[in-house]
Amino acid sequence: MNGSITPLAIFFASIFTGNILLTNYLGMCSFLSVSKELKTSTGLGVAVIFVMATTTPLNWLVYQHLLIPFGLEYLRFIVFIIVIAAFVQLTEMTIERYSEPLYQSLGIFLPLITVNCAILGVSLFMVIREYSFFTSFLFGLGSGIGWFIAIIAMAGIRQKLRTAKIPPGLEGPGITLIIAGFMAMAFMGFSGMIALS
Amino acid sequence: MAKSKLRKTFLEPLGKNNPVFVQILGICSTLAVTNKLQNTMVMVLGVMFTTALSSWTISLLRNHIPSRIRMMVETMVIATFVIIVDIVLKAFYPEMWKQLGPYVGLIITNCIIMGRIEAFALQNKPFLSLVDGLASGLGYAYVLLAIAFFRELLGTGSLWGYQILGSWWTNWSIMIMPPGGFFVLAIFIWVIRETIMKEEKA
Amino acid sequence: MIKQATFYKKRIYPLLFMFLVTVICILITSGLFLSTQERATANELSFTRRAILDAGGLEYTPTTEGIEKTYKEKVQVEDGGSYYTAETAEGKRYILPMQGPGLWGTIAIMVGLEEDLTTFSGLAIVSQNETPGLGGRIEEPWFTQQFQGKKSPFTLVNEGTADAPNEVDAITGATRTSEYFRNLTNRASTDAKRIIRGE
Repeated sequence: MNGSITPLAIFFASIFTGNILLTNYLGMCSFLSVSKELKTSTGLGVAVIFVMATTTPLNWLVYQHLLIPFGLEYLRFIVFIIVIAAFVQLTEMTIERYSEPLYQSLGIFLPLITVNCAILGVSLFMVIREYSFFTSFLFGLGSGIGWFIAIIAMAGIRQKLRTAKIPPGLEGPGITLIIAGFMAMAFMGFSGMIALS
Repeated sequence: MAKSKLRKTFLEPLGKNNPVFVQILGICSTLAVTNKLQNTMVMVLGVMFTTALSSWTISLLRNHIPSRIRMMVETMVIATFVIIVDIVLKAFYPEMWKQLGPYVGLIITNCIIMGRIEAFALQNKPFLSLVDGLASGLGYAYVLLAIAFFRELLGTGSLWGYQILGSWWTNWSIMIMPPGGFFVLAIFIWVIRETIMKEEKA
Repeated sequence: MIKQATFYKKRIYPLLFMFLVTVICILITSGLFLSTQERATANELSFTRRAILDAGGLEYTPTTEGIEKTYKEKVQVEDGGSYYTAETAEGKRYILPMQGPGLWGTIAIMVGLEEDLTTFSGLAIVSQNETPGLGGRIEEPWFTQQFQGKKSPFTLVNEGTADAPNEVDAITGATRTSEYFRNLTNRASTDAKRIIRGE
């Protein structure tokens, strides 16, 4: 159905040209607040990759095998959120039980992720674009990696800016948004990467 | 006494406690559609509707909700109202619905709604919570409409689809592209903070 | 006794509450959905029909009833729906539904062709998933209407500079989508000749 768009192309596109944060504006809240610290950004970023890569194909399964057969597509908002919340809760409990260091570096971010609009957004996009199971996984993985790259880069830049003189009105969210704008412009340059067949 | 509390509840989210540029909440879902004024209007109406009614509903139930499942219940209520918006749009304004795509569903994850419920609706009476929700939605609305105003005008020379600027205007394409949204919002925050800060210093 | 009451309060009551809330929410949304379902499907159909009318260059009143009226009067469904024909003042029009890959998903369009099956009489987007504000602009009237009277194979030029009958304006900032779209429209003539005339 997607002709010359290979799943691989979608994977790369979701990281660069269709970056979930810089192009689609999703996941901003935590992006703006957490990107102050490089260490926490890394933790949160990895958690996002994990959750996105797993919940997107999971939601695909639920949508295809539960919602569509019963004609309940309009309930997808509620169902997807429940799936994401349940999955995150389960993962958090498992990690806490089996690995304390992993929990400290990753697990504590998991509750924050449940309300991250990017996670739900990726699942919703997947439905609208009618991706296959495997493509959903790649799309989720790619989107997560894209979000990760964005927040890491932002944290790195903000770290460098700590000693710079910023106009008082721009401190905090203002300058972060401007940097994000420039990053978005830079990422747009990647659109030459996707070759047409 | 009650009247002034009502007034305060209504006015605060519009200015001093504005969810977007003071608390920097909830820009996720709508910033993407701010390149067209019309789409933004529909989205913010959806957010206002959801915030007001979710706050009101949770406030009604506030003494009965077990604290362990508090967030799940809130999410369920918010999701229900968003689904209502989605269904109504699909049935009565299908063109709009197509244009807004997944962003209507993302109203659920809009931090403002959950934020207001946690900060206000759980501790206040239903009517007051309704007003608070409505005002927060309004505070959110005018910021996003202002952003959309500039993005659409500078980016396409038109407003609400009607051409305003003549052919002498070269479209600032950057405005309708993603970076434009970031820049306009940043400038907006800057302007507001400079004026508010100046006021507070004075 | 007290232990039972606390057990109820801590475990059972929350579950019961959650269940009740879920049921009520689902009832409300399902009720609303079912009562508007017919209308929603009618809208979907109307969209497709409107695209057919636009592609054929037919005049109609832009309401659901107007679209249905003009569609029923003027459009013939041919070959089980693989294409449509319409008689207009300027001649017979052939309308072909087409699909092709876009940047993010499938782009579905209706292409209207004149008798020679090469000159476009019009074009309308049925569905697309391109980036809103960028590739999504293929839905804007200036983009779709520019195909009227032009012949494939098309060449993309910078927005606003199209001149020759085979040049079309690309969308600034949406090069990929524009290219995918051009690939799609370039297929229109050969597809039409194959389906309609078996060439």
